[in-house]
Amino acid sequence: MERALKKLDGVQDVNVNLTTKRATMKYDSNIIKISGIKKAIEDAGYTPLDLEMSVGVDRDKIAKENEIRTLRERLITAAVFTVPLFYISMGHMIGMPLPKILDPAYNPLNFALVQMVLAILVMFAGRKFYTVGYKTLFRGTPNMDSLIAIATSAAFIYGLYAVIKIMGGNSDMVMELYFDSIGVIITLIMLGKYLESVSKGKTSEAIKALMGLQPKEATIIRDGKEIKIPIEEVEVGHVIVVKPGEKIPVDGIVTDGHTSVDESMLTGESIPVEKNKGDKITGGSINKNGSITFETQKVGKDTVLAQIIKLVEDAQGSKAPIARMADVIARYFVPVVFMIAIVSSGIWYITGKPIEFVLTIFISILIIACPCALGLATPTAIMVGTGRGAEYGVLIKGGEALETAHKTDTVILDKTGTITEGTPKVTDIITEQGILEDELLAVAVSAEKGSEHPLGEAIVRAGEEKGVELKNVEQFMAVPGHGIEAVIENKNVLLGNKKLMTDKNIEITLQNESDRLAVEGKTPMYIAIDGKLAGIIAVADIVKGSSKDAIDALHDMGIEVAMITGDNKGTAEAIAGQVGIDIVLAEVLPGDKANEVKKLQEQGKKVAMVGDGINDAPALAQADIGIAIGSGTDVAMESADIVLMKSDLRDVATAIQLSKKTIINIKQSLFWALGYNSIGIPIAAGVLYLLGGPLLNPMIGSAAMAMSSVSVVSNSLRLRKFKPLHLI
Amino acid sequence: MKIATKTLHVKGMACAACSANLERSISKIEGVIKAAVNLTTEKLTVEYDPEQTGVEQFTEIIDKLGFRVEQDELKEITILVEGMN
Repeated sequence: MERALKKLDGVQDVNVNLTTKRATMKYDSNIIKISGIKKAIEDAGYTPLDLEMSVGVDRDKIAKENEIRTLRERLITAAVFTVPLFYISMGHMIGMPLPKILDPAYNPLNFALVQMVLAILVMFAGRKFYTVGYKTLFRGTPNMDSLIAIATSAAFIYGLYAVIKIMGGNSDMVMELYFDSIGVIITLIMLGKYLESVSKGKTSEAIKALMGLQPKEATIIRDGKEIKIPIEEVEVGHVIVVKPGEKIPVDGIVTDGHTSVDESMLTGESIPVEKNKGDKITGGSINKNGSITFETQKVGKDTVLAQIIKLVEDAQGSKAPIARMADVIARYFVPVVFMIAIVSSGIWYITGKPIEFVLTIFISILIIACPCALGLATPTAIMVGTGRGAEYGVLIKGGEALETAHKTDTVILDKTGTITEGTPKVTDIITEQGILEDELLAVAVSAEKGSEHPLGEAIVRAGEEKGVELKNVEQFMAVPGHGIEAVIENKNVLLGNKKLMTDKNIEITLQNESDRLAVEGKTPMYIAIDGKLAGIIAVADIVKGSSKDAIDALHDMGIEVAMITGDNKGTAEAIAGQVGIDIVLAEVLPGDKANEVKKLQEQGKKVAMVGDGINDAPALAQADIGIAIGSGTDVAMESADIVLMKSDLRDVATAIQLSKKTIINIKQSLFWALGYNSIGIPIAAGVLYLLGGPLLNPMIGSAAMAMSSVSVVSNSLRLRKFKPLHLI
Repeated sequence: MKIATKTLHVKGMACAACSANLERSISKIEGVIKAAVNLTTEKLTVEYDPEQTGVEQFTEIIDKLGFRVEQDELKEITILVEGMN
């Protein structure tokens, strides 16, 4: 059996134990499912029973914690030896007591040797600097560790030279030991690395939170019984039970029960959503108050949650164009710093400075130079920025999208489903004298019952909401393109557009109201009973509550807003007027949307296109930034650069703001990192000394170097506090 | 030409010089279209032609530069089996 399992693709480290009757293995869930492994066991002639998962083990987290723990232990070791080292070398200068056996005035050799031993112990705690540093140096690809390794080695060799001199009787050399510098440099740089590692852990909190949404188990109904199975074993078609307060394990469709579901962790929408039979539910959301059963539709990496996680992970791993410059600098940085260190100390040597002065220059330059800060600026900011976006249901697909979005100066909004709700609703019911609103609606609903026309469906929905009673329809005839002719309870009923009324010689008496509705961009449906106009029911695709706020916010950011629609000019202008659109692109056929985007781009504009439908996909791809909004179809998500989980236009402004903040943050970090190196290195080279100032102490250099990468990461972490304007 | 994309978790990069070196070394491999190293997430993403190169070669380069690849897509399970003697 072991052989059979080993042959499987994606299975490793198989171990079959005959006494415990257990087969243990590692498997890649992207390649093989547990059901596949079980099948292989069956095929080999055995019967697989229960399985035990290493439930709840987050290997990434454990690895990270181990790494941080190792860093901390080594840091503490280094510090434990550095403190006495520093005390022995410096304490006596400010009058601190030192036992006579170590006093440089009486026992200079002991004084030097003890420091040397302590320094060796610190170097041992920081041995990684030497193993990695020298290895990469000899391979011709020196890195930061090489800088530290060379600098401290040089100090150590000089210290050794001083010790030999002291042995030879030259006790003046006790003032020229570099052992304390070695200790302090290594300890401070380790402190910097440790702090950096801790802060870096915080940058991935957002994605960890998303991963944490995935429940580990699901309760399925099998043979009429409820049984708990690990999430990995859930398959499409399983029927799952979710009790109040539990998390929904995977995606599916409700088959029984009703409840409200908190989807805020996925979409950023804080109001719970009602779910009834036939509604879609998403894995990772929380079932609030009702018990439901649902049929699984998507599992594993196909679920919405898995796709969001993948999208955010990919984005966080991607590179922004702005990082390219930093990368180029980083590549040449270390060799260049070596050159600067050799050349500067060489020049000082030629001018006749003593060897310890030259050595200080050499060490200081190597120590203060910090390529880390440069390399960390962009990826950490992108990581925190995209993570924060995900918390608000704003998924930015990569560094490039994030960087382009901040340049947006024109936003094109698709009308239907983006600015408006997307499903027409009855907005007005106007009646002639003597006719009740409900009465008119009841007639209309009865006539339209079973209609598949969107306007008819809107009327039927309105009737259901109001609970009107249906009337008996005796005769029914559809007049294509015009409306309906029916006999309802012995009355002749006509329901349709203006054309139908004029064809049947019905006088339109409610002319003023009808004109007003047209101006408001609504579609009037005329109803005549027994040859006389009885009233008008107006239907419109109404504007979403947040659309105007969103467009105002974009205007405040100096962005021009256009609307694109297939509607006629009149209706389009009416909607545009309500929400404050700058440019109206009306009567655009679905296939021409991409072309309209292109036309605006040709005017030199940076265009973001916002849409939700399949026929928006080419336009989303054509735009500089394609934004798929809410309930977006998979196709639109595919061609979009930014995906908004909620159907709220204000998130367009949020996405652009987040992009701006992130880019500003990156620029700040790069500015500090570059500035730090371009000021630090000249000071270390002795520029201040030339001007009559002090020489940089290598220990202070190491403190500055440690702080620079910590400050860059901390700056990026500030993005965690980003809040969309409409929530402030 | 078929294009494959693979993401590897690379441990042991000390700073931006390391990530820049790795990125350049991987990019130089015949058949690699694009390589990107992210220092913060410690991830290497490679787009490549699977007929010309593959993960083995990337791993070799990573090892040579003194870093290591961490396997992070594996899960461990234990299955109780009946019928074994």
